[in-house]
Amino acid sequence: MSRLSLRNPLLTPEQIAQSPSQLQGITRDLEANLRAYGCHLIEATGIILQVPQVVMASAQILFQRFYYLASFQDFPLRGTVLGALFLACKVEENPQTIRNIINVYDIVVKRDRGFPEIVTDGYDAEYYDMKNEMVISELQILRKLGFNVQVELPYGLLANYLQSLELTDHPTIPQLSWNYLNDLLRTPVYVCFQPETITCGVIYLAAYKSGVRLPESPPWWIIFDVNGDDVVQVAKATESLYLRQWPKIMPLDSSELSMHLGGTLESHVDSERKRRWPESSATGIKIKNTIEIPIQNKAGPL
Amino acid sequence: MEKYQKIEKLGEGTYGIVYKAQNRDTGEVVALKRIRLDNEEEGVPCTAIREISLLKELKHPNIVGLFDVLHTEKKLTLVFEFMDSDLKKFVDAYGGDLDALTVKHLLYQLLCGIAYCHRSRVLHRDLKPQNLLINKRGDLKLGDFGLARAFGIPVRSYSHEVVTLWYRAPDVLMGSRKYDASIDIWSVGCIFAEMATGRPLFAGTSIDDQLLHVFKIMGTPFDPLAAHAPPPPPPSAEPSPAERDYARRAWPGCEQLPDWPHAAPVYASVPLEPLLPKLSAQGIDLLQRLLAYAPENRISAEHALAHPYFDELRALNSRAAPPAV
Repeated sequence: MSRLSLRNPLLTPEQIAQSPSQLQGITRDLEANLRAYGCHLIEATGIILQVPQVVMASAQILFQRFYYLASFQDFPLRGTVLGALFLACKVEENPQTIRNIINVYDIVVKRDRGFPEIVTDGYDAEYYDMKNEMVISELQILRKLGFNVQVELPYGLLANYLQSLELTDHPTIPQLSWNYLNDLLRTPVYVCFQPETITCGVIYLAAYKSGVRLPESPPWWIIFDVNGDDVVQVAKATESLYLRQWPKIMPLDSSELSMHLGGTLESHVDSERKRRWPESSATGIKIKNTIEIPIQNKAGPL
Repeated sequence: MEKYQKIEKLGEGTYGIVYKAQNRDTGEVVALKRIRLDNEEEGVPCTAIREISLLKELKHPNIVGLFDVLHTEKKLTLVFEFMDSDLKKFVDAYGGDLDALTVKHLLYQLLCGIAYCHRSRVLHRDLKPQNLLINKRGDLKLGDFGLARAFGIPVRSYSHEVVTLWYRAPDVLMGSRKYDASIDIWSVGCIFAEMATGRPLFAGTSIDDQLLHVFKIMGTPFDPLAAHAPPPPPPSAEPSPAERDYARRAWPGCEQLPDWPHAAPVYASVPLEPLLPKLSAQGIDLLQRLLAYAPENRISAEHALAHPYFDELRALNSRAAPPAV
């Protein structure tokens, strides 16, 4: 029988070690920040658009997959964020107009940068640039991914696994695991492991955090047919997500990327704000310059 | 793009024009489906994304082959296996009078293709005679996956507007969004009957009218668990007509569906044999299982393939097989 199709494509170890962006001189750290920020933009835009969670999750996974086949230098963040969201809305049957996606995306960026949250009028050059980038990026994602845009998500599995482990009614484990699944979308975990493994990884960590011991001999995850080392790796990746700061002002296009590499992006954004909205900086609102990821965990012993 | 020499225009697909063409190097005849990308408000059409992403993964003798996808700035071209005709034209060419064995052969192939889709966790969602392609050798292949989608294990809520009205399952007509593989099976039942008679089985003109067409033949369904449900008829050794009617119309939970037609007239079910004189008793039995009201009672494609109706094909095959040495 043929291979069961439509499973998530996973990366090879070589692809993980050397991403296209790193081959072009972007540091591992900057790439992690760009990935996390792009996913934050997708999620925040999706929430305001009120699209279902599957759309936001699929878009983030397409975004992650894409940047293992293309670099941030050749394909700036902004177009890919817009294109991935546009595409995922179609694949998951929740079509959104180009205008809606762009307007909301724009507001999210303005909020992050401390600009006044004014909707673009839709007829200025910037709007047309974004629209163009979005349509081109959609096709680029399709091409690079070879139209492999079906995404398998772990949310349904989580419900089933919690039920088999009789944890459905536990006060913290279901919610914690669910949040972990969402937050992990910002990392490459979804392109490194299949949903079964990811699901076990978040349950492992959530049970640990909640002080619940699950059967160890034999280990509980063997009934879900996953590898124990992989489960621990997912749990570790989840933990480390909460141990670092995720900057909020990130380069969205090529010129911003060169400013960022030259260390001048933050001051550029600041002067942009003063130039375009002189009255807003007078109020003296201090902008938090990191994204908050909802769950804050103290370091565990993993 | 000059790899293929166009021969003739075949028609207009869901999106764009379909051509018959020939590969200049190999001489292979193919069908080219052109998708224009100049729609500025829509980007790449949704149907094209679904069709390509699913067909790329589905490889089976009863599913039309997608050989290649060619990109240029302004268009996408899908290169498909060439098929001579479709089931609608094929049935019409015979004046609606296919012989019983041909019907059996075609249905078997349709079920093989659908069983493969469902095993691969893909719903077709738009099965109809126009989407079933046929070549000169009599091979039947599923085509047009523009409305298909992959489904996860837990059933999610899908879009409502799927399946051409005549082949749409009653649960979908009544607004169910939690449909599964059984939605394709209902369509298979409708197509089976249409092959056997040359006419669509339920040819409604609107959603309400479509349900009436179904009720007039299959009987108006009722929820056997509801307080006002009719009492089940007393069991007897040989199933009585009343028992058969009850079994056909009973559909647990149907009145909970979002668009349950409260005001629909109550019809008894009618025997299918006189409507489909060409079908054997086994054929009628299979048809009833394909057209079961309750989605969970509808036979799966895998089980349908094992139905005794197809024993004749299995016998023919084993006779045709070369003798063992």
